[in-house]
Amino acid sequence: MTSYLDDGLTIRSWLTTTDHKRIAILYAIAITAFFFVGGAAATIIRLELATPQGDLVSHDAYNKLFTAHGVIMVWLFLIPSIPSVLGNFLLPLMIGAKDLAFPRLNLASWYLYVAGGLLTLEALFLGGVDTGWTFYTPYSTMFSNTYVVLTLVGIFVTGFSSILTGLNFIATIHTLRDKAMGWFKLPLFAWAMYATSLILVLATPVLAITVLLAVAERLFQIGVFDPAYGGDPLLFQHLFWFYSHPAVYVMILPAMGVVSEIIPCFARRPVFGYRSMAYAIMAIASVGFLVWGHHMFVSGQSLTASLVFSLLSFIVAIPSAIKVFNWTATLYKGAIRLDAPMLYALGFVGLFTIGGLTGLFLASLALDVHLTDTYFVVAHFHYIMVGGAVMAYFAGLHFWWPKVTGRLYPEVWSRIAAVVVFIGFNLTFFPQFLLGVEGMPRRYHAYPPQFQVLNLFSSAGAGVLALGYLMPLVYLAWSLRGGPRAGDNPWHAKGLEWQTRSPPPTHNFDAPPVVPEIVYDYRADERDPEGAR
Amino acid sequence: MNAATLPAVDERADPDTGKLGMWIFLASEVLFFGGLFIAYLYGRTTWPQGWAAASRHTDVVLGTVNTALLLTSSAIVALAVACAEDETRQRWTAGLLWATATLGAAFLAIKGIEWHADWREHLTPTASFAIRVAGAQQFFALYFVMTGLHAVHMAIGVGVLAALAHARAHGRAWARAHHVEVAALYWHFVDLVWIFLYPLLYLVERHG
Amino acid sequence: MADDSIHSRDFNRSARAIAAAWFALIALMLASLGSAYLKLGPWNMMAGLAIAAVKSAIVAWLFMRLRESGALIRLVALAGLGVWFILLALSGVDYETRHVTRSTLQAPQQLQRSSAP
Repeated sequence: MTSYLDDGLTIRSWLTTTDHKRIAILYAIAITAFFFVGGAAATIIRLELATPQGDLVSHDAYNKLFTAHGVIMVWLFLIPSIPSVLGNFLLPLMIGAKDLAFPRLNLASWYLYVAGGLLTLEALFLGGVDTGWTFYTPYSTMFSNTYVVLTLVGIFVTGFSSILTGLNFIATIHTLRDKAMGWFKLPLFAWAMYATSLILVLATPVLAITVLLAVAERLFQIGVFDPAYGGDPLLFQHLFWFYSHPAVYVMILPAMGVVSEIIPCFARRPVFGYRSMAYAIMAIASVGFLVWGHHMFVSGQSLTASLVFSLLSFIVAIPSAIKVFNWTATLYKGAIRLDAPMLYALGFVGLFTIGGLTGLFLASLALDVHLTDTYFVVAHFHYIMVGGAVMAYFAGLHFWWPKVTGRLYPEVWSRIAAVVVFIGFNLTFFPQFLLGVEGMPRRYHAYPPQFQVLNLFSSAGAGVLALGYLMPLVYLAWSLRGGPRAGDNPWHAKGLEWQTRSPPPTHNFDAPPVVPEIVYDYRADERDPEGAR
Repeated sequence: MNAATLPAVDERADPDTGKLGMWIFLASEVLFFGGLFIAYLYGRTTWPQGWAAASRHTDVVLGTVNTALLLTSSAIVALAVACAEDETRQRWTAGLLWATATLGAAFLAIKGIEWHADWREHLTPTASFAIRVAGAQQFFALYFVMTGLHAVHMAIGVGVLAALAHARAHGRAWARAHHVEVAALYWHFVDLVWIFLYPLLYLVERHG
Repeated sequence: MADDSIHSRDFNRSARAIAAAWFALIALMLASLGSAYLKLGPWNMMAGLAIAAVKSAIVAWLFMRLRESGALIRLVALAGLGVWFILLALSGVDYETRHVTRSTLQAPQQLQRSSAP
């Protein structure tokens, strides 16, 4: 029987496809490439930081490195990864549809993403940008001698791509759900895609206009962000963070969606508190629009505004906490299997919790005055972005790999890699909390010698982490070439995507899928028929 | 492969999906232009004299004419949609679409004349900016960005409406009533932006 | 045929509504223009924005057919506006409560340097 992979074997058929599954694969290839470029920048950074002196690269080069790392990882990897790869592939399957609402728009999104990414890479090769991924004015617009405009244009184009993807997902979920699938029968991954898409559509345009204004300021000195011209640097920051804070929820909500699919499956228990999980997802997306000023506590923002944003930032933590409690409760009395997806998912829960709790430290005004712009912040967001989002991405890759490719990967190696990633991650980033509290500033290529020991641990950890990320590259490639064939449902998971073949046919379902009465109808006492493999 | 068992209706044929998609896009456009309005509000409240002085140098006659053109074009394209949905009158649709596109092109031409005049009067953000009141230059910087971005959107709209008019005259499948409605939604939105740009740019302080 | 006359009635109704809306929009535009020549202080901006709001309500409700649209479309329209208001409101909190004293450096200068790379 043919699958979507057999439907056209030429490169041209791939580049002109409107099949959401093929587009997902196109995205996967592109973001993997960008991930390793961003990772290369991180490698050089950690090598530099192994010694207190700035002896590996010049300070200018270092500025360009952390800027490249941030820009690539945020816009070219984290934001598109789960939505554009897993979301694209799975959303129509999960709701029983043949494709997204606007398939050609989906392909356009991919091309825009690649174009934006190439523009950004071009800026990198021409000499880079040294402003930090935050492009604060007036340095970026009036003083920097690097390729700011080119990079900003690249980001603009990529941003447009993500707006269109969000638009597509929203329309799809509203109009193409199976008749029997009401809102409260949607898998939580679909809820997560929906909330993420709302943010993509409503927040990204503000980034777009901010970037446009910054380009105009840089090219024509319009002065709107420069105090010497009567402008306000905080205007840039308000507009920038109005997008960039909800952007972090774009990065984490899909991850939460993935984890909510995996934990019930590998604990053989329905997710605890399904409705509250759905409401929490929507609450995170909504309240997430109200907190951006917590990035500006020491920027000159008024104390009143800072207090308001601080309070709202505490409130936004609540729905996330509810989700952590519910994932944990789902495990209770479960029949837990520690396959690779579950190892990554459990790692997510622990590391996201630490990241989230340290966010509360930063939300407290008085503490933030001490901790801002130190390695504490760096550790905080890496716990969420890497310990959270990236681990969830890997969890999802491993969970749905059999469905996407029709193949299985080596069990043992996948579990080892997950553990290596977990150890490497904590070794890299936990010392950074301590460094931050002790006062080591971020974005410095040299530091006082008393910080070296912790930095050495961190750099060593980065090596281990890199190994953990390289391992899947090897065994997943092996799986593609000759791994054992997967059945329709090797994990015995619920969810409509498991009711079709692995890999699915182009039109997704040979026979109309059956929407179950209860979502996540896992029973721990169900006799596991002959194991998952 | 048993495609026969799948529902016979092609979900993508639902005309309301296109409408929903356009509305979602317009919501994103509200935030896109919205950032500029925030920058504008900052400037106006920080440099009220500069804003007033600069606004007096905009051409209120051309601005008003343009506003009237755009409002009329919205009415005409709304009529075009109504015609497209009416069997006896749908042959008027193409003509009305051409009329709308023409009004849009006229708008752009007048805008070009205005900008040219602004450039001649040294109102562009250069070293020789003519109005020596604090904030006036910033007003004009935003003026050019806002009207420029609006003009880009209008140009796209003119292109789309012209293409639709042509397609309808030739009976193309992608120029049905619901496609016209979706394009009209975009056009109305561009009109909406201008409805706010008009008083904010041309009418800051005309008295005295 | 009876069918045609029903459709004709629908069309005539639409056409009349569009014409009425057009008249209202032009009238409001002239009112806005006129109000700018009156010395109303801060109410000049209020008047201008209020009239613009009414004009956009006409365009959105009648021309863009929010009047006949379902709850979903109205929600979409509201969401766009609402999120913009959040941006306005919370950044407004900062701008209203931040006290700025400008130094001579911060008085806007005319452009002196050439374009940056």
